Amino acid sequence: MSSDIILVIVVGTALAFDFTNGFHDTANVVATSISTGAARPQVAIGFAALLNFVGAFISISVAATVAKDVVDAEVITTTIVFAGLIGAIAWNLITWWFALPSSSSHALIGGVVGSTVAAVGFDGVLAEGLVGKVLIPAVVAPILAFLVAGIAIGISYRVVGRQRPGIVSRGYRYGQILSGGLLALAHGTNDAQKTMGIITLALIANGRLGVNADPPTWVIVSAAAAIALGTYSGGWRIIKTTGTRIIKMDPAQGFSAQGAGAAVILASTHFGFPLSTTHVINGGVMGAGAAKRLSAVRWGVAGNIFVAWLLTLPAAAAIGALTYGFTRIFGTGALGPVLVTLMALSLIVAAFARRAQRGAPVTAAGG
Amino acid sequence: MMIATLVQGKELLQTVIASVVAGVGVTFAFSVAIWGIGESSELSRNGRPLGAAIAAIAASVALTCVAAALVGGIIVMTSK
Repeated sequence: MSSDIILVIVVGTALAFDFTNGFHDTANVVATSISTGAARPQVAIGFAALLNFVGAFISISVAATVAKDVVDAEVITTTIVFAGLIGAIAWNLITWWFALPSSSSHALIGGVVGSTVAAVGFDGVLAEGLVGKVLIPAVVAPILAFLVAGIAIGISYRVVGRQRPGIVSRGYRYGQILSGGLLALAHGTNDAQKTMGIITLALIANGRLGVNADPPTWVIVSAAAAIALGTYSGGWRIIKTTGTRIIKMDPAQGFSAQGAGAAVILASTHFGFPLSTTHVINGGVMGAGAAKRLSAVRWGVAGNIFVAWLLTLPAAAAIGALTYGFTRIFGTGALGPVLVTLMALSLIVAAFARRAQRGAPVTAAGG
Repeated sequence: MMIATLVQGKELLQTVIASVVAGVGVTFAFSVAIWGIGESSELSRNGRPLGAAIAAIAASVALTCVAAALVGGIIVMTSK
């Protein structure tokens, strides 16, 4: 009975994380389209939400990696998964508060690794999967997106350099609808699967699924719906950072950044690498800016983002570990997770209330 | 454990190659399409129909390549 209560809490928390993932990462998908005027904000976000939903059904390679390759599914309990999710959600909200586009994926993996280490020690972590499928791609992916976007924008400027600016801008704005759509599809494919993987891990821990089971259909549908709803709700604060504060983009740069981002995410998803879509698109945006002129990139903002990237895995791991330690004060039953859930909800409500008191939230109209 | 055994080198290399080919290739093809459309309209205005037609064909071929790349990418994703 107690483990079933924890399972219900874990599934609810995982879907809440998925919602914050869509909410937090909307910027990755739509910021460049909005900032170059390729699409109106609400249209871009609605389109992205729909394609995130569709993208979630495309593949389950990443879900399998999260469920089986990062931590040892045989030693995981639902409380460990719960504590990891709290670590991820907490870090997502902290970085949202400071308008920093950090990685939801690394927050999730960091949270689960931290709570696993707190519960069973380092033996519960699968080093091969963590390094080979998470850490190395985490370093390679944004650099790759930076280079691909840089090369792509260099070629673009050469090819269309003598054309009239009007036709070029209009053309790339149309192209951004396509590249933005592909990016949304890629985002849904890679990111929704992380939640599917975590819920699958909880179902395995609860004994409802075998160790090598794939995510059930209800898990896929609910994860797709949660990320799409989160995307539709939009995270305007981060959209502003990604869309205007790193570089001031023209439509060709927006197209190159989105195209590079989509290519890297789709290729990585195909091989089951759960990379950070945030890192990839920000790498693409910086590459598209730096290729035109190094000083076009606001390196101070880029530096803040870089620090948030570095901190994400250890910070989420620390919060996950602390959360696990706190729940264990109340034994192995459902009391600990229930108390943590109530405290987390209170903190979230207080944070949103404080944000509302300090002024109107950053919206599409408000920039 | 050796770092070489931890890194999934083959998959990572394939990811890098696929990303570069797709990301740069699609942007190049789309840029050629924009060039073709712009050039076609310019040549047409200047009374050079043959040149305009060639530029329009180049634009069409480039757009077909972009569409094929998108469809191909989605097929690769769904077939995994």
